[in-house]
Amino acid sequence: MISFWHWISAPRHGWQLTAFIFGALAIGCGVLALLASTTPRYRKTLVAAVTFLAGLYYAIEFLIPPSLWPLDPPRNPFSEVQPLVGTLTQIIWSFALFLGVWNLFLIHGRAVAKRSRGWYNSAAFFISFFAIMGAGLLKDYAHGPVAKVSQSVFTILFSGFLTSLDATMFSLIAFYIVSAAYRAFRVKSLEAGLMMAAAGIIMLALVPVGAEITNWLPSTGFLSALRVERMGYWLLTSPNMAAQRAIAFGIAVGGLAMGLRIWLSLERGNFFDRQL
Amino acid sequence: MSEASQYASPAVWIVESLLAFFILWKILSARRGRELFIRRIPGLSALDEAVGRATEMGRPILFAPGLSGLDIVGLQSMAILSHVVRKAAKYGTRVIVPLADPVLYTVAEEVAKDAYNAEGVPEQFDAEDIRFLSDRQFAWASGVVGILHREQVASALYFGYYFAESLILAENGQMIGAIQVAGTPATTQIPFFLASCDYTIIGDEYYAASAYLSREPTLLGSLVGQDMGKLVIIGIIALGSIAFTANAIWPNVGWLCDLTNTIAKYFPRS
Repeated sequence: MISFWHWISAPRHGWQLTAFIFGALAIGCGVLALLASTTPRYRKTLVAAVTFLAGLYYAIEFLIPPSLWPLDPPRNPFSEVQPLVGTLTQIIWSFALFLGVWNLFLIHGRAVAKRSRGWYNSAAFFISFFAIMGAGLLKDYAHGPVAKVSQSVFTILFSGFLTSLDATMFSLIAFYIVSAAYRAFRVKSLEAGLMMAAAGIIMLALVPVGAEITNWLPSTGFLSALRVERMGYWLLTSPNMAAQRAIAFGIAVGGLAMGLRIWLSLERGNFFDRQL
Repeated sequence: MSEASQYASPAVWIVESLLAFFILWKILSARRGRELFIRRIPGLSALDEAVGRATEMGRPILFAPGLSGLDIVGLQSMAILSHVVRKAAKYGTRVIVPLADPVLYTVAEEVAKDAYNAEGVPEQFDAEDIRFLSDRQFAWASGVVGILHREQVASALYFGYYFAESLILAENGQMIGAIQVAGTPATTQIPFFLASCDYTIIGDEYYAASAYLSREPTLLGSLVGQDMGKLVIIGIIALGSIAFTANAIWPNVGWLCDLTNTIAKYFPRS
């Protein structure tokens, strides 16, 4: 079984690669046609079965350690095919990316064609899309001076524009934190007052002047707990950490319950009832 | 990666089995018709208020699933989207959904289409309202900020997985005066949403959303099962804390040493 997976996932070139691509497309179309031709009742059963089997793979892969498998040397055979499963997921994602790009073309193409408000932004999308795609392809596949120029253009577009724009958006957060903090720290209730006090202590604990304020207190013994840097550290590592872990714990249990419902096709409600 | 961290330890087996048992048991008992109570979650009740406000103002709603992909976070987000679109469809209000994951984009499109069909107004579905923007974090964020300002949305709903972009979106929503409701399992982003949004659902309330909104017995049962599982785990934590504290005070008591050793064996510190 494992050797089959190794055989199917081995790198291929030339006619074998072409055959595999067309073969996979033919099988995919066949499965889709089969799904479309079955009645909704069977389709639902089929989808539930595939969902269960896919979930079972990950459950077995994680829950049964290699030492429990009767194999020599001890190993979990399901772990060995995990790279292949990861590749399959990536292929599905790549197909979906094409749909995403198609949606972008549709929306921005209409905006340019209709000359709707801000259409020039849509035109900028097309220009930048084709510029970075062209430069990216040419730098990898062209030779000689074309490849060199393409590499430079790609570097300008990617590092000069895209990375810088990303950094610009990220740096805006600093200003938004100030405005959000202003609203959050208005003392309107006891809880807001407590939060303000805790935030004040932590801010002071993180700057040198904070430590200076309580530097006259002894660094050991009972009174040392009142030093600002100690109080700040305690607030972060005890009450804050406890609350964070409690929230994370609830989220993990909620996630497990939802995963279990989806795995066993027990999920109900708005979308899941009608979709199958 | 060591075997201990890559595969389930006995503690994981015990905890996951307990949780799965309680969840499935309660789902089955709820399906048999047992009445179950679920407390009010203000953030989820506010979803109807957000739809109503957008309808009154004649402006669209923005529903952003964050950077979620097609995982349980994304699927939960889609369940909430379905509820919001159905509510909005009743009043003819637009819902704009900007997406960062191409796989989730295809699902969101189907969810929206399905919701309009279910409300009997398929003609209200506009494919341009379900938009794939970019899979890059800040490119997506700047796209959403642009939509917030251009469309002057009345309500902004953030349900999904968020990273640093959460505050950028929520603060821009504040700027345009939108009513904002957020829910995310990303614990690092909850404080930012709390500071900038009108309502924020925290922790496992995010996963309780589909049960709360649909009142479906299966989902309510799952929620009660989760709580029972949590109670048992809290009991284990309390027992461990008491046992280790007592062992530190009375280190020579034999059975206390045995108990703490057993707990440490099955629940080792990571």
